[in-house]
Amino acid sequence: PFCGGKLILNGYSWLPNHDDRVGGQKVRNRKGRGPFRAPMYSDQGPRPRHRGSQRGGGGPGPRARFDDEDGDVNLSFILPHVFSPASNPYGRPNRRGDDRFDRGRRGGGGGGHRGRGNNKGGDGGGGGRKNWFKMSVPYGKKYDKDWLITALQNICSMPFTPVHVKGNRAEFFIDDSTTANALFKVSRKITDKEGYKQCMAKRFDGSQQALDLNNIRIDPDLVSQNIDVTLNRKNSMRAVIKIIEENIPELVCLNLSNNKLFRLDDLSELVNKVPNLKTLNLSHNELKTERELDRIKGLKLVELWLERNPLCDYFKDQASYISEVRERFPRLLKLDGQDLPPPIVFDVEVTPAALPPCKPSYFCSEEIKTPIVGFLQQYYSVYDSGDRQPLLDAYHDGATFSLSMPFTMQNPSRCSLGDYHKDSRNLKKLKDPTTRFRLLKHTRLNVVAFLSELPKTQHDTASLIVDVNTFTVSKSRDSVRAFCRVFVTVPAGGTSLCIVNDELFVRNATTEEIRRAFVAPAPTPSSSPVPTLSAPQQEMLSAFSLKSGMNLEWSQKCLQDNEWDFNRAGQVFTDLKVNNSLFYSVNIPRFKSSS
Amino acid sequence: MGSLAEFCPFCNTADFRTHVDASCRYSEEFTNIYYDCMDKKRRNLMRLYLDKATLVWNGNAVSGQAALGDFFESLPSSEFSIQTLDCQPVHEQATQGQTTLLVVTAGQVKFDGQKQRYFNQNFLLTAQASPTSDQPVWKIASDCFRFQDWSS
Repeated sequence: PFCGGKLILNGYSWLPNHDDRVGGQKVRNRKGRGPFRAPMYSDQGPRPRHRGSQRGGGGPGPRARFDDEDGDVNLSFILPHVFSPASNPYGRPNRRGDDRFDRGRRGGGGGGHRGRGNNKGGDGGGGGRKNWFKMSVPYGKKYDKDWLITALQNICSMPFTPVHVKGNRAEFFIDDSTTANALFKVSRKITDKEGYKQCMAKRFDGSQQALDLNNIRIDPDLVSQNIDVTLNRKNSMRAVIKIIEENIPELVCLNLSNNKLFRLDDLSELVNKVPNLKTLNLSHNELKTERELDRIKGLKLVELWLERNPLCDYFKDQASYISEVRERFPRLLKLDGQDLPPPIVFDVEVTPAALPPCKPSYFCSEEIKTPIVGFLQQYYSVYDSGDRQPLLDAYHDGATFSLSMPFTMQNPSRCSLGDYHKDSRNLKKLKDPTTRFRLLKHTRLNVVAFLSELPKTQHDTASLIVDVNTFTVSKSRDSVRAFCRVFVTVPAGGTSLCIVNDELFVRNATTEEIRRAFVAPAPTPSSSPVPTLSAPQQEMLSAFSLKSGMNLEWSQKCLQDNEWDFNRAGQVFTDLKVNNSLFYSVNIPRFKSSS
Repeated sequence: MGSLAEFCPFCNTADFRTHVDASCRYSEEFTNIYYDCMDKKRRNLMRLYLDKATLVWNGNAVSGQAALGDFFESLPSSEFSIQTLDCQPVHEQATQGQTTLLVVTAGQVKFDGQKQRYFNQNFLLTAQASPTSDQPVWKIASDCFRFQDWSS
């Protein structure tokens, strides 16, 4: 139950005494000399810019809206003032912040906007004083309270406990400046796009592949829903471009006139996301210099409108104007409605080549297919069985194992691959040689001991992809992961394989992969009974081991594979020694692990 | 399959450690060179491969330097971003004594005309004597590349 628009957070705190202004604010002059940029201070800073009119003198004024209607000031946050500790949210505040619009330079200038310097009065001051910061969301009441707080908590880098959420502006209080700052950072970061989309849909002409966003701010649909689309703000523009990218990426014509655009940084995404754009209308905006066009010069524009931007006045003649524009858009045929003489181009532009089609398993040769598939099925049935000790048979004495995962900025304890995180050996991020060494498990005992500690899993071998690769689909109720595993193996008697190197890369599965997982039923694992050796067999075994130099396990395997024919086994062994070892990568996109 | 434990760096701990450290450094250097070449000097890329090297690229097999050269030329220009790297020295038993490195990478790539995609890749690098220098050079013996969403 909410309308579209952006969540804007205003924060105000209450100052302990009369001089409640804590420093000037570097704001952009109304005539526009550059975008507003203000640094963040934890406990001090300028007050929010007042909407529209300026108020003289002190005294409380209505709380300023955070956004600015005429687009001059591109604030993206508001800095808190320090609450008087005596006036906390559980009582009436004794003073409101002054909403005076300060144009002076920070910390000085006339007009009484003197910086108060470090207003850390209450912060860490004596005796249990607390600073309260009041956050409010314009029109916050229209949002469902739980949705609102949850949305903020999801995006805010710090956890917070809002106190006393109420009112038309969904006001709530935060008792810590660091948290308050973290919240400020998310101002304007949450956008509900449905309202945007509907409005844009009305302004889209499918037959022309044209979207008209001229003066979008006053669009009656948006206004009636209190949706604020201010295209000269990054988040608005980004939201709009995202909607275009997701719904009408083939767009050919775009009209952005009358949107008070003063820079084109936020349009640069158009180059990659709307590559077919040929006509662009930027007229009646606030672009000051033709250098803004550099941000979008990747577009292959054929028609451009730029008139009624300040930049147009800075050219000494039409010819230089055209020339500068054409430098960015060599294919341009029409500028401000005037035809231009067609340019002479160089035919270097080639349609980019297509990629070769992606194919499934490449097994190299048919004869490898069965043993590899068999080996992998056997490997994973043990791996999933709950007891991974039998894997000792699959590994060479000197085997190594390591695992890696995609690098994530997320807190590891909150990451769903958390079980794997501490052992992830990503050399791009891990630089200490000792740690790098420690994370490489060496010798089969260590490898299998480590594997035994990894979460229980269930793999389901359905189809194999071999590059030599194998593709398995797993069936489980738990979280789905995807992985890529590389085995380097050597022959181990007959058609068995023995792993010498094992590297596992694990990541989260995509929703598409999860959806496609477990389509085919799992094969029933076959159990191979462990044979007991007769006395003559045991004798043959020791002799064979001595002669070949292999350990007992392998000797036994070799003999078994050759039906305990000593000479035959010996011959096979000799032959195997000269065979090349087998290398293949296992690209298994899905398995489930219980964690 | 006899054991040469006393000479095998995989069994001798001090040598093994050195081996692992060196492998890490080589793999970092290799990935820098390889992806830089892939993005900026595509024509030179095939020189990093052994002549009998095999590439399996999303299930397409290519082998031999000439075919590799043609193949890389046929791909659109690329912008790779490597986010994960791991490597292991390959056990000599698999390589008949030739020093070999397993390098595993993952990240994102944008080919011209395509959307950005995640990929996994792994290489076997092998040290070869060089005709032009005293020092051995690393060459790619095998290369396996796949988009994570190859089937879409």
